Amino acid sequence: MRELAPQVLAILVRRHGQFDACEDAVQEALLAAALQWPKTGAPDNPRSWLTTVASRRLVDVWRSENARRRREETATALELPVVEVPAHDDTLTLLFLCCHPSLSVPSQLALTLRAVGGLTTVEIANAFLVPEATMAQRISRAKQSIRSAGMQFDLPPEPERAERLVVVLHVLYLIFNEGYTTSSGPTVHRTDLTAEAIRLTRLLLLLAPAEGEVAGLLALMLLTDARRAARTDGDGWLIPLDEQRRDLWNTAQISEGVAILTRTLGKAPIGPYQLQAAIAAVHDEAPSAKDTDWPQILALYEVLERVSPGPVVTLNRAVAVAMVHGPRAGLALLGTLEDDERMAHNHRLEAVRGHLLEMAGEPVAARESYLRAARMTASLPEQRYLGLRAARLG
Amino acid sequence: MKYMIMTFGSAEAGLATMGKEWMVNMIQFMHKLDDDLRKSGELVSAEGLADGSQAKTVRFQNGIPVSTDGPFAESKESLVGYWIVDVENEARAIEIASRIVAFVKVPIEVRRVMDAPPEF
Repeated sequence: MRELAPQVLAILVRRHGQFDACEDAVQEALLAAALQWPKTGAPDNPRSWLTTVASRRLVDVWRSENARRRREETATALELPVVEVPAHDDTLTLLFLCCHPSLSVPSQLALTLRAVGGLTTVEIANAFLVPEATMAQRISRAKQSIRSAGMQFDLPPEPERAERLVVVLHVLYLIFNEGYTTSSGPTVHRTDLTAEAIRLTRLLLLLAPAEGEVAGLLALMLLTDARRAARTDGDGWLIPLDEQRRDLWNTAQISEGVAILTRTLGKAPIGPYQLQAAIAAVHDEAPSAKDTDWPQILALYEVLERVSPGPVVTLNRAVAVAMVHGPRAGLALLGTLEDDERMAHNHRLEAVRGHLLEMAGEPVAARESYLRAARMTASLPEQRYLGLRAARLG
Repeated sequence: MKYMIMTFGSAEAGLATMGKEWMVNMIQFMHKLDDDLRKSGELVSAEGLADGSQAKTVRFQNGIPVSTDGPFAESKESLVGYWIVDVENEARAIEIASRIVAFVKVPIEVRRVMDAPPEF
């Protein structure tokens, strides 16, 4: 049912304009369907059922707003046959609209999950651990911004499209990442954002099959999520990659991720998501931690640093350098990040330093670095993990 | 990302030294702030706390937990209230805190809530 949400919304917006009112109406139609369909069975044409119910809801709202003229226009519009527009393009347009660069990042995430993902406000609020009223307000503000900026329900023009796609991919990536937070909250009540991000990226790849970075992001998500069951133990402690039980990795997801990547690489311009996916694939395909092809990973990080340079990439490359050329070489590369302001409040520099110092046989200095990293991180499971690493050296 | 914005002080001292006008302005300011944060979709929760003089501190003494009167640090200043906000970045949390500081003119502490996803 949820995959119909963006299609129905697009039909209504095309017919009536008023993105915000249409979005509310679709949400109510989805709720009505969730209540009725289990009892009566799904209708023959669920999309037109949802469209009809949502349209009626829109009319009710306009009627109660006492907009008589508007109502009459709408009533006429309702009698028009449903115009069959290509649902694919509409969903893509909707995704671009929800990820509009003028919206704040939290708004982009919330609106995408509701309008494209078809999640309810309660589900989104639970996923981000905020009150329902707060999430409702955030979504309504985002919709107001769309209205007041007069954004059109059209695909962005070609010159802007690549730039806008970068924002869409970033939003999907953040939704995926947010799913990892599950380890710090009451997991039972949380929607699985990781699965939702994968579903939406899969959808996006159907809509834009020639975009190498969309395929790259989907592969990256699958190859990362494949390790989920091995990432934490029963008590929620994080387990680093080299200590994970590889028999717990999801081989079906790994095969799918590798297959997507294989048919993408070389056919489209290379980008950071494809490269990160390729690195994840090298890890996933290693039968054991010690069999990992580190020279290959190092080569990929070198390309990544050329394509998309930044301190976090350098940091990851330092780990690969240490695995290929020894911990001293890795530590020397970390030294180049020392004065980088972007890393001043990032715990990962100290966490990696601790790891490399431990490898170099300097437990006292390693312990100091782990403790500094533990103080800086805003992730509870990571703080516990770093504290434990320090304690082991104490 | 979530931040806790905390105000410290003593409600008792405030009540004793400030006039009615100050009280009314303060209450209006707090209502307006909460309302604005609610409307912007950023408010997670906000509470005011009873005066620190009413607090109990439970300590481990001679092998058993013992409750005594007064806040933990036994200082005049203790936590009097807090907001938890879910905002786009630290700059926005500081902007909210600055608005409070500009009004109450006492220091405000801004602390990140541990809600980041782990990196590996």
